[in-house]
Amino acid sequence: MGNSSPEPAYRVVSAYKPSPQPGMPGPFPGQVVSVRSAKCIDEVKDEINVAVVREMMDRGMQQLTGESSVLRAWRRFISPTDSVGIKVNCVGRPRVVSSPEVVAEIVRNLTEVGVKSSQICIYDRFAERLYEMNYGANLPKGVQIHGAEFTRGSIRNYDPATYVEVDFFGEDDTRSEMIAMISKFTKIINIPNMKDHGAAGVTGCLKNIAYGSFSNMDRSHRFRQTHTYSFVGRLAAVEPVRSRTVLQIMDGLRGVWHGGPSALNPRFVFYPKQMMFGTDPVAIDRLMLDVIEAKRKAEGVVSLWDRTVPEGKDRNDPNVSVYIREPGHIDFASTLGLGVSDLTKIKVKEIEV
Amino acid sequence: MLALLLAALPVIFWNQGPETAVALKQNGIEQMLVPAERLQAWKSTGLVVRGITTAEWSALEEALAPGVDRQVQVASATRSPYLIANGWRFIRNRSAKYRYTLPAGKSALAAAESYAYGADAALQIETADLEPAGKMLAFLRGLPVADLPGVSDLAVVDDQHPLVGEVMNLLARRNLLFATATAPDPRYPINIRIGSKEYPEDEAANPSEFALKIRRQLTDERRSVRLYGSETVLCRLTGDDTRIRLHLLNYRGGKVDGLRIRLRGAFRKGQACSDQIGEIPLENFAVSNGATEFSIPVMNLYAVIDLQREK
Repeated sequence: MGNSSPEPAYRVVSAYKPSPQPGMPGPFPGQVVSVRSAKCIDEVKDEINVAVVREMMDRGMQQLTGESSVLRAWRRFISPTDSVGIKVNCVGRPRVVSSPEVVAEIVRNLTEVGVKSSQICIYDRFAERLYEMNYGANLPKGVQIHGAEFTRGSIRNYDPATYVEVDFFGEDDTRSEMIAMISKFTKIINIPNMKDHGAAGVTGCLKNIAYGSFSNMDRSHRFRQTHTYSFVGRLAAVEPVRSRTVLQIMDGLRGVWHGGPSALNPRFVFYPKQMMFGTDPVAIDRLMLDVIEAKRKAEGVVSLWDRTVPEGKDRNDPNVSVYIREPGHIDFASTLGLGVSDLTKIKVKEIEV
Repeated sequence: MLALLLAALPVIFWNQGPETAVALKQNGIEQMLVPAERLQAWKSTGLVVRGITTAEWSALEEALAPGVDRQVQVASATRSPYLIANGWRFIRNRSAKYRYTLPAGKSALAAAESYAYGADAALQIETADLEPAGKMLAFLRGLPVADLPGVSDLAVVDDQHPLVGEVMNLLARRNLLFATATAPDPRYPINIRIGSKEYPEDEAANPSEFALKIRRQLTDERRSVRLYGSETVLCRLTGDDTRIRLHLLNYRGGKVDGLRIRLRGAFRKGQACSDQIGEIPLENFAVSNGATEFSIPVMNLYAVIDLQREK
């Protein structure tokens, strides 16, 4: 399953205690609801059908929880007094991001539950990317938008008392601190996309919540042999991130099958037209990995698992890579108790809308 | 000494005519070196000036314009770019007198750098830099005097080996605090003599890797200073049994938006300030496990932090 380098020595510093049932893997380990719809997006216009997406989300949430109404389904995770962080992904902007339509639908449901707008916060690491997406245009007044880094590399908005210390390659700055705002959230909803990742293999639930919530991340992949294999899971397991991330909604309306995590070349953008719902980030990512792998196979390019891919810096060539991909980071995360990666043990409920 | 009245401050070398005196005064620069042949003309301006001949100027040790060398032809963007910094030169030769010839935009950092290391330095600056240079000099003048010795975690035996300068440069680049010695100094756990069995020449030929080896030998736990949040801020630590002064120099330029600092030892909360900003708070101050940690929310090119040791 991958990795050829030993796990480095991690030192986790956090004063937060795990909740009795941590959000990851949460109440539904090894369970994923997959909702597909051919109508969810118009490929020609690249336009999302909001009504269809709403139906996909409603049915996904109800199927996941077994509740009789959408409202009851959301109430399984969120109460009116919660302060809710919504972790979006804006790396593949402007197209392959946590869709503003999906985010708006989540916020609508949160307000239906009774959460005040001012208690909802859309967050990401890089302020510039986040504000470029202008999520606020689709949201009620009062919803907060928080980008942690206005200047790339700035640690001002990170929590100096919650961090992971590790020396990967002899870098001088050996700490990755958690975004300080996270400590104010009582619940986090994670909205990743289906994307290839040049270093981690793919980027989904785990990497979005891990690398998207801590500072100084790129140091794990400065050289061909990276440390993404273990770092993704180690970060996702840090409290309070692990306990408070209670819901995973995989936005696979659009995807990236090569060149990720960004989506600079339209050739590599595709339309899985699929959303996945669950509390187990590992199980969702394991399924998403196969979606990307299948697309790459269909395109006739090298496998995500191939560790012998020639080294090359041309990101437009799917048959070379800067890094050795580490899709095994998903399996590694399962060893930390974050979820189920064994496909034979993952129960998938399929819905067609 | 090059400096005129305030021995610790760098001095401006100004090779324009006395018609520029008003601009100098407006920017708070009231003492400087001028070309010897122009000295007489400057005497009527009311400024404190001293002449320096071309030969005298050339005889000074050269310090390089400090900053980031982006090496755009050979490298992509990095958090840890090559820095041009002179601290190691100042440590290596404390008795030398230095000259900077600075393009516009470099004078403030150069002034701070030479001040932080107590170097006897003259700065030839561009007209466009009168304002930033004047502001930095004013900031330096306003700092409380703290004539404290350098704090070091290891020693480099300076036997004039051709590789020793670059090794010192890369040690300083990694904020590994070193002293120079003419022979191994038993006060330090590590004494580097290039060409010795433990530190062979072929290893020193790659000074970056060599510095990493030294860091690993020393261990991060035993380092007197660690910085988190920037790989382009370099430090100098001075101190004695009662107090320390930490100098922070931002070679990238612009503001550093948050920096976490770890000092070995227990200290009481003290004072910090930065040019262009003034007083800055020491946030999330914590003392535990034989170390003191705190954050500063912002610094400009140069910050000074004064702390008292816990008794």
